[in-house]
Amino acid sequence: MTSFSANPALSRVADRVQDSRRRSRYISGALTVALTIMVAWSVDVTVIQDTDWERIGSVANVWEATSHFIGLDLELFPDLLVPAIETLLIACLGTAFGLILCIPAAWFGAMNITPYAPITYPLARLMMTLSRSIHEIVWALFFVAVVGLGAMAGVLAIAVRSVGFIAKMTAEAIEDIDYGPVEAIKAVGGSNFQVIVYAILPQVLPQIVSVVIFEWEINIRRSAILGLVGAGGLGLVFFRQMNTFNYHGVTSVIVAILIIILLGEAISYFVRRRMI
Amino acid sequence: MSNRMAAFGGPEKKKLEWRRFRYPDSLYSYAGWLIAFTVVVFSIEYLNIPLDRILGMLGRMGDTLASRYYPPDIEYIMDRDYFGYVVETIQMAYLGALFGLIITIPIAWFASFNMTPSRRFVYPVARLFGMSCRAVHETIWAILFVSILGFGMLPGVLALTLFSAGFAAKLFAEEIERIDMGPVEAMRSTGANLFQIMLFGVWPQVRVAFTGIAIYTWDVAFRAATVVGFFGAGGMGWYLKRNVLQIETERVAAIILSIIVLVIISEALSAWARSAVMKMK
Repeated sequence: MTSFSANPALSRVADRVQDSRRRSRYISGALTVALTIMVAWSVDVTVIQDTDWERIGSVANVWEATSHFIGLDLELFPDLLVPAIETLLIACLGTAFGLILCIPAAWFGAMNITPYAPITYPLARLMMTLSRSIHEIVWALFFVAVVGLGAMAGVLAIAVRSVGFIAKMTAEAIEDIDYGPVEAIKAVGGSNFQVIVYAILPQVLPQIVSVVIFEWEINIRRSAILGLVGAGGLGLVFFRQMNTFNYHGVTSVIVAILIIILLGEAISYFVRRRMI
Repeated sequence: MSNRMAAFGGPEKKKLEWRRFRYPDSLYSYAGWLIAFTVVVFSIEYLNIPLDRILGMLGRMGDTLASRYYPPDIEYIMDRDYFGYVVETIQMAYLGALFGLIITIPIAWFASFNMTPSRRFVYPVARLFGMSCRAVHETIWAILFVSILGFGMLPGVLALTLFSAGFAAKLFAEEIERIDMGPVEAMRSTGANLFQIMLFGVWPQVRVAFTGIAIYTWDVAFRAATVVGFFGAGGMGWYLKRNVLQIETERVAAIILSIIVLVIISEALSAWARSAVMKMK
């Protein structure tokens, strides 16, 4: 410290460092206080005021309500096979259709290859945001209204919902490519289309495949609940079991969902490890 | 030896043919395409997807949008009640995210392969917990909690808690697995206990990443919060459900529009906050 006070330039630097530290401490302190107040207020509003504590009753009552769900309805499992396959296939097909929808979105949404940046780039960004910000339940509601009940609505909902993520990751991968091959193809007179097929696609293909597999895994989760709004699969069975108060059946459906998700995760892990 | 002879123009010189994939890899790649194609065709058959009607469907979709959903009933969402529900949704989202993150810290610690206290017992249990939180969709959690606790925001908060815990636990555990083990070993060699290692060896390394993950979790939880109300767990979802059931499609369109706007705002906020956090590092 003595050397700092002896040298005026150094002591000025030290002051500045201390100032900035103090400022950042003030900022984080203020943030903590604000966060605490907000949390306290929301806990008060949501948990204390809005909850019907009389209905919940004591811990024993809650435990009783929970214990309905503990146990399996083994007789239900044979009936779950077909919906489970349906759920898996809806996820597969939804991902495949989503991939097709992704082609324009990713092409227009990558700043370096978009055909006409002022129009196509915002358009693609809008597509991605729309797809990601609307929940799959809402998409499914819309498609059920348009194409009627059944697997088709689920497939379309999942396809539209997966566009956002796949296209965003793909567009980012395209923006990060190495320009050597692009210039090489352009130098030998390749058209824009040839540049995309021979210079860009081979570079981003591994990333696209791993993103698609990841999205497929998520889509299994999504397709398992689309039946709640009438789009087929395990969700429909879940809904029926819930409405007939067959709580053990509900647990069985959840176990079935867990099993197919484990299956999907295992496949995805295996394929992605193979790819790398 | 023969290779070297070939290289010097020996008798075994062969014309080289360039291929992107060599024998076993090419087989895997073809098999992959074949499997993907078969699955798609099989699912189209199995699910009775009318492919020939898909193009006509686009027109019908346009018609439906134009005739039923088109002028969104903006006035309907511009009132105080609805605003109250929006605030509720935001509160549910960040409470859920906060509680989820609090659960996440021990879960991620136990579920990270390098730092877990016991690889044989605690690690699989923590992994399983995180995985089942993630595997069960947030709407199913919402339905279960609503059936146990009744309508209101508490079941929504709990559903979002489990959802955020599952989401953040995986990302955070991966972050812990990526740390530099040097400080950890240094602390271990001086006889620090598990908590001290976690607090002074691991936490400073993952703090920034954790803040980023926390902000991202809040963003994702908000997106989920817009629909948990659909099954009776409070927030905007309940509004949505009511109007869907009443087939007030123009109001539904307005509500969906408001969801989109809110999600875009939250996404921009979270992107800004994450970049600010990254800069502080």
